[in-house]
Amino acid sequence: MSSNRYTYGVIEQAPLDIDVTGVDGAPIDTVDYRSLSAVVSEIGTIEPERTDENAAAHDEVLRAVLQSDGGRTIIPMRFGMVFKTENALKNVLRNGRVAFRRSLNDLDGMVELGVKLVAKEGSTVDRRAVVEDVATRLRAVADTEAGNDLYSDRLVFNRAYLVDRADQPAFEETVAAIRDAYDDSLLVQYNGPWAPYNFVDIEIGAEGR
Amino acid sequence: MASDRPGADSLADVLDRILDKGVVIDIWARISVVGIEILTIEARVVVASVDTFLHYAAEISKIEEVTEEGSLEDLENLEIRRTPATQAQYPEAT
Repeated sequence: MSSNRYTYGVIEQAPLDIDVTGVDGAPIDTVDYRSLSAVVSEIGTIEPERTDENAAAHDEVLRAVLQSDGGRTIIPMRFGMVFKTENALKNVLRNGRVAFRRSLNDLDGMVELGVKLVAKEGSTVDRRAVVEDVATRLRAVADTEAGNDLYSDRLVFNRAYLVDRADQPAFEETVAAIRDAYDDSLLVQYNGPWAPYNFVDIEIGAEGR
Repeated sequence: MASDRPGADSLADVLDRILDKGVVIDIWARISVVGIEILTIEARVVVASVDTFLHYAAEISKIEEVTEEGSLEDLENLEIRRTPATQAQYPEAT
């Protein structure tokens, strides 16, 4: 038995019923502080290895929470947030409660969807025009957008969208229309739903360290 | 009308998110044994009526000005920065 708790994210406190195991195959549990719950599992180390397996486990827990109970909202933690004790975790929930509450309220009912456009071999598409057109179409069916790095020369467009669950079908129709419009020059990669990774930015530190 | 389903998420998409984004908590706040560490909270919620980057940037600079003046008006808690966290919510320029 270890007192260490690997933490996946923060949710509204309510019974959590998910059928996945966490990092290192550990069962999922929650640590509660007032109206907030942290989704956790027990772990033997304070620094889990960044293996593909562990990364996938982290992602699968978040995904399961997103899909549970008709769709829940979770404020995602970065990989590797292990707390030495439940008390240390509760201390962070207590001190960060304003930020967590506000995020949960603002992101309620929303999911993150990702769209990437990759230029096909030999494509001579006008990138600026494509970006403008695609961004305009997607903004019309999304709440907010966030841009990400174009880490490859062939990557033309890489953005994340915050979308109300009710608007997801409209978003998907728009993605299909974009795919049709640029079929001869671009590959459209549509992924998600994700926890709202691109739409929370919370850092908690210890004073004077 | 045709519709698109999300494709299988590649490991690259997963790593791009879970290693670079999400809530970050300092190691000292996570190993604190006594639980009386004074914590600093920096939060920016990147949502709600912010539909373009330009608008977002303008909001942030407005918030920074407000924060420097130490006034809570117009801040609307978009950015919450308080030090130490045990005090009342009151932004401080740092």
